[in-house]
Amino acid sequence: MPYGMNSTILKINLNSEKIVENNLNDEIFHKYLGGRGLGIKLFSDSVPKNINPLSKENILIFSIGPLTGSVTPTSGRFSLVTKSPLTDTIFHSNSGGFWGPYFKKCGYDSLFITGKLSSENKGYLLIEDYDKVEIKDAENLWGLKTSETLEKIQKVEGKNCQVLCIGPAGENLVKISSIMNQANRAFGRGGVGAVMGSKNLKAIVVKSGNKKFEGKNKERLKKLRINAIDKIKVVPITSQGLTLFGTAALVKVINQFGMFPINNFQSAYTEPNKIDLVSGEHLRERFLEGNEGCYNCIIRCGRMTNTGEKSGKGPEYESLWALGPLTGIFDLKTITHANYSCNEYGLDTISTGSTIACGMELQQQGLLNEHSLKFGNNDMLCDLIEKIALKKEFGADLAEGSLRLSKKYKGESYSMQVKGMEIPAYDPRGAFGHALNYAVSSRGACHLTGFLVALEVLGVPKKIDRFSVRGKSDLLFLKQNQSAVEDSLVVCKFVGYALGFEFQARFLSTILDKKISITDLITIGERIYTLERLFNVREGFSRKDDTLPKRFLETPLQKGPSNGRVVPLEDLLNEYYEVRNWDKNGIPTDELLEKLSLEKLT
Amino acid sequence: MIDQETYKQFKVVGKVLTDHRYNTSHSGNISMRAGGKILIKRRGAMLGFLEPEDIIETDLYKADSGIMLSSTETDVHRQIYLNTDAMAVIHAHNPFCVILSLIEDEITCLDAEGIYAYRKIPIIEVDNPAGPTDAAREVPKVLKDYPIVVVRAHGVFAKGNTLLDALQNVTGAEQSAMFRYYTMLIGKPLKRDYSKEKFFSEW
Ligand code: SF4
Repeated sequence: MPYGMNSTILKINLNSEKIVENNLNDEIFHKYLGGRGLGIKLFSDSVPKNINPLSKENILIFSIGPLTGSVTPTSGRFSLVTKSPLTDTIFHSNSGGFWGPYFKKCGYDSLFITGKLSSENKGYLLIEDYDKVEIKDAENLWGLKTSETLEKIQKVEGKNCQVLCIGPAGENLVKISSIMNQANRAFGRGGVGAVMGSKNLKAIVVKSGNKKFEGKNKERLKKLRINAIDKIKVVPITSQGLTLFGTAALVKVINQFGMFPINNFQSAYTEPNKIDLVSGEHLRERFLEGNEGCYNCIIRCGRMTNTGEKSGKGPEYESLWALGPLTGIFDLKTITHANYSCNEYGLDTISTGSTIACGMELQQQGLLNEHSLKFGNNDMLCDLIEKIALKKEFGADLAEGSLRLSKKYKGESYSMQVKGMEIPAYDPRGAFGHALNYAVSSRGACHLTGFLVALEVLGVPKKIDRFSVRGKSDLLFLKQNQSAVEDSLVVCKFVGYALGFEFQARFLSTILDKKISITDLITIGERIYTLERLFNVREGFSRKDDTLPKRFLETPLQKGPSNGRVVPLEDLLNEYYEVRNWDKNGIPTDELLEKLSLEKLT
Repeated sequence: MIDQETYKQFKVVGKVLTDHRYNTSHSGNISMRAGGKILIKRRGAMLGFLEPEDIIETDLYKADSGIMLSSTETDVHRQIYLNTDAMAVIHAHNPFCVILSLIEDEITCLDAEGIYAYRKIPIIEVDNPAGPTDAAREVPKVLKDYPIVVVRAHGVFAKGNTLLDALQNVTGAEQSAMFRYYTMLIGKPLKRDYSKEKFFSEW
């Protein structure tokens, strides 16, 4: 068994309520690590072609990694893999907090949930320790919001437990729902909450187990940690920016580059006095009560806020943007309340905001007849969020996500999505490498799997020309592979602003007591990324799906520092396929599969 | 976006520092006060090839979200502005100043220009020379009285009324350090040591 892992999968078949423990082959670890890599491997080995993501055949796989719960800074994270009802692609997501380290101490690497409980027998899963696992009745939890669910569960199971749960949105199979972690962090994007809802599973509760990890090299690890902490404290993004303002520190920065989407991406820049209304500084001054952090994190980017009327967590940058300026709303209190509401109902904030913004543009174009759906209309936002979660009235259309909504009302070009998933808070016309990542990402428009904004805007580790094409694919290839590794170790992406990738390699080598080079890790990342692609290819995805909405390819921005730009996607894409060793249609070549010891999925 | 004139100053100063090899391709940072703000070089940009987008605005009095883009040493610059008469600040890794900082406690100028402008250049030591926190506390204390200071094993912080004025201090100090270094290397006694006559140690 590799140090830092348990080599055990906890398998739950909800059809039969059978719970078994299976050994995990070490070879899988050496080829895929844990977290996302392990989940992707187990998932693609187990799921037949073209299953309905909301059927009992779909699987939810939660996995920790070798660094989860270790002394490595920001190692509280863990991953989820499933098939998305929003995109129909293979899907991974990750979350922080403390659930991952608790689960790891119970002696497991992965929680593998298949099948479905009957609708008369809704339940939640309780993992107390190794071999102490049961499915409990959740009839009295069904219909509750996420904070109510957390409270009720903690009343029964005690305060010292970590709770993943869905809200009404997941129960109602809303395709833009999330799984909430301790009611205020999320496994966001892709409608993963609906997958859990389709299994009639309300929550997964874990108590901290008793397993101790007696690894070698304790002294070396301690020194490595001191070095890492020193670096985190030196770099302004991690020592000040994220700590003081949370991820909302990006609001003014991204606007400054003319990449801050407003009114459903109709523009991407606004005047300084207007952007100030929704800045991280403004959020701090008006509503911040305190910071909140995940396990073993000194950055503590989480916002605990209080508007005077309500209190809760956030909003983070993407949520603030999607529920705010993307819908033309610049009132910070409305946005903050809308964010609380999404957390309570278990909705993905980016997709919720973007789907509402799509509806607003459909209305603006005369394709809808919903008069309150107007850019900048504060009054309807929270009400609409509830309707989406409960699939009430027009909310039922919005609950399907922007692509399905726009198709229904014959305005597909107003849905700002890739492969069905809504585009996050960086206008692709302002950073071409980032645009390429949106187009090719295996889970649809995603900012996390190859965050080239780091280089193109933030200058980390070094600034590159945001409008150049040549060589962007190579950088994206590297970043996507690195990102796949980070998600498999599992550590937070934000620590990457301070610590080079060599730190991850050193922490891992020290914990495993075995030298693993950066190059080894990049190859593992490439294998994970390619396997995701193979899965999607089997489901019918190809070059035709690696694209962007027409707006970004044909309509130049009209003001701000990205004025006049459109994305030269074809050039970027051709180069990218070459770099990845995929053919012209975006299919991994036999040569690549041989290099990575992979096989086509059948 | 900054105006053309300001951009031109940043560009010239950045290029001179790079051409003189005072910095590596991406290190060093330069800033100026402007209208209650600090204009400062963007992190990760090349000092010798600055573009308008590489000059970032951040608050003079407290950290704001400009910190996401601005130089790692922004806090040192801010504290210098808040605690001294500086209107512009340059941080560079002048080789001769750094070398002398490894073996001396101050750089006593031997050349006429250095004697006239600086007499001596103070050297300070901080626990974490590469991090901004200690330097932000210690550097302004010295720059209250001197135009330039060397942080041992790291580099110099110089102030000025303008960026070009601060540049003169960086290049002037480096030249004096170079003269001193080579004189020490030769190892022969000085024919006339002005520093002794003019009581530099009291300066
Ligand atoms: S930086 Fe933020 S998200 Fe990342 S581990 Fe720390 S608190 Fe969690």
